[in-house]
Amino acid sequence: MADVGAPELRDLQSAATSHRGDRVFNRTITAAAFVALLVLAGITIFLGAQAIPVLQTQGMDFLTTSIWDPPNYGIWGMLYGSLLLAVIALVIAVPASLLLSVFMVFLAPSGVAKVLTNLVDLMAAIPSVILGLWAFYVLAPVSEQWQQLLNQYLGWIPIFQNESGNFSGTPFTAGFVLAIMMIPIVTSVTREVLGRTPPELINASEALGCSLWTMLRYVALPYGRGGLVGGVMLGLGRALGETIAVFFVIKIAFDPVNYYNIIESGGGSVATLIVSKFGEASGPYETQLLLAAGFFLFMGTLAVNVIANLIVNRTGRLQS
Amino acid sequence: MSSTITFDAESLPRLEEQKPQTPWGRRTSRFRTVVILAVLIPAMVATMLFWFSAIAGPIIVVAIYLPLQIIAAVLAAVAVRGTKSAGDAVIIVSAIAATIFSLIVLVSVLWSIVTKGMQALSAAFIFQNNEYISPSTPLGYGGVGHAILGTVLIVSISALIAVPLGVMTAIYITEVRGRAVPYVRFFVQAMSGVPSVVAGLFILTVLILTGVLDNSAFAAGLAYSILMLPTVARTAEEVLKLVPDDLRTGALALGSTRARVVLRVVVPAAKTGIITAAILGVARVVGETAPLLLTALKNDKTVLNPFSEPISALPTYIFTNVAQPYPDAVIRAWGAALTLMVIVAVLFTLTRMLSTKRPGK
Repeated sequence: MADVGAPELRDLQSAATSHRGDRVFNRTITAAAFVALLVLAGITIFLGAQAIPVLQTQGMDFLTTSIWDPPNYGIWGMLYGSLLLAVIALVIAVPASLLLSVFMVFLAPSGVAKVLTNLVDLMAAIPSVILGLWAFYVLAPVSEQWQQLLNQYLGWIPIFQNESGNFSGTPFTAGFVLAIMMIPIVTSVTREVLGRTPPELINASEALGCSLWTMLRYVALPYGRGGLVGGVMLGLGRALGETIAVFFVIKIAFDPVNYYNIIESGGGSVATLIVSKFGEASGPYETQLLLAAGFFLFMGTLAVNVIANLIVNRTGRLQS
Repeated sequence: MSSTITFDAESLPRLEEQKPQTPWGRRTSRFRTVVILAVLIPAMVATMLFWFSAIAGPIIVVAIYLPLQIIAAVLAAVAVRGTKSAGDAVIIVSAIAATIFSLIVLVSVLWSIVTKGMQALSAAFIFQNNEYISPSTPLGYGGVGHAILGTVLIVSISALIAVPLGVMTAIYITEVRGRAVPYVRFFVQAMSGVPSVVAGLFILTVLILTGVLDNSAFAAGLAYSILMLPTVARTAEEVLKLVPDDLRTGALALGSTRARVVLRVVVPAAKTGIITAAILGVARVVGETAPLLLTALKNDKTVLNPFSEPISALPTYIFTNVAQPYPDAVIRAWGAALTLMVIVAVLFTLTRMLSTKRPGK
């Protein structure tokens, strides 16, 4: 399109816009394009409208206390639990995804890398309810064994303390399941980011005598930093909103809030709270409480997701 | 070197004989021995400990085998390539460990679905519904027929809503190219982060609690379409971008209106890609459970009316059968999981087959 005389597509198109059918077409398409905004605004307004009366009756205690005992309700424990689970998942999933994508991009032969890409995509396609089923019957018993060992050998570290002897329904197991959900999401972004390191930079660093480690440290990771952080945050957004995979392996506990004993039974997250209490909600007010909890969950995930997308977009268009 | 430059074709090496020289990639026998030793010794030590000591398996793998393997790899690297390659050895061993870890997880999930799910599969399981079936009813009676039907119904409803809207959003971004393109793209991305449970809550509060809709397949389809739309829009956008501009300019030059260019030229050229986008959208939602628990509830009967009755789908069927104290009910959950996973795998394979074709050809 560098030729001076060549008309730009845009000009050609706007030259043809005078047609009446085109105006109808354009308006229809434009209207459809704003459905996304409409839905986002709708969620904010309608769930927000449910949150206001809840905040009026419960006050800020709804966000700062941890209790689910009529007439007092507070979701602090669940908000904190969401974060705790996400942190555990990040600690496991981020190194695993980074290393997995390093293997796929820089180490594996291209045939192996292609097969691995497909397998990682297949892993992302496993429905969360199936992961939940697997976590409950296959992972949880194994995980209890691991946690006993952790407690036995590393029990002197505060996070691995367990006084009850009950290792089921712990944040550790739930975070581990979340990590398994996050690995394919994060990997698909980090793999693409690392794969986009300009070959001339890699060749230059090799010519200068860099080893793989120095190349990663000084070329690939700094070059793709934005995309890597964005990919991790996309995974984090998913982890915060995940419901069913966690539901089966966490024991929801409001009081006392389990702050750091990750292998002690009890914890929770806002999303699992909604599903577990919805069935037994005794009236419109309890449903309203859950809708309010959903509002804060939505706000949290929206913020994480928007920041993630801003970071990813700034470093070139990448789609998970 | 002679002072005059002469061209002597005979003395030049023949092209096919000239293989690239990669001194850094040369594998000497010493290199091979060291690598084999570095792989074998830690594995042997770990196996011995596993058989002849009382140390628990996970401890051996995580606290003994992995560090030992890293140390062995570092020693091997230093012995063969010098101290600077020590970092590489650590990276390579950890990268392989991370890959194996992910593969073990994937294989474990698939293996348990297939082996446990097969126990439930039978013609009755696929075709019968769950009416008159209690958790303690033995296998062989009742099944997921109603749930498969429910999944098909709900997913179809959501596809009917989300696929046209998603494709239209993509057309806005790539074809209409209005002023709001960056914003629309931003909203679609933000929408893709809506947690499934929030999509369910939204439909619940706007349509069900207000009495506009009953708990039904249609309400669940609406919730699903919120999750499906961003996937369809983002994939369709990528696909429409691949349609060559020549087709657009050519059609415009022939006197087409813009609407016709899009509808008769661009969209047909990207047909396969748009179908892929639709399938990806379906695959994204087909296993979502939380929206169904809030909007469709469950129903053991076969439901065909999408507007009036609660309805079960495969995810809700799995959900209700997990953690039941009856082994047969649990096997039913695995059977339903296998059914769902087969559907997901079919969709997954379809997208792979379609995406190898390039649009516009």
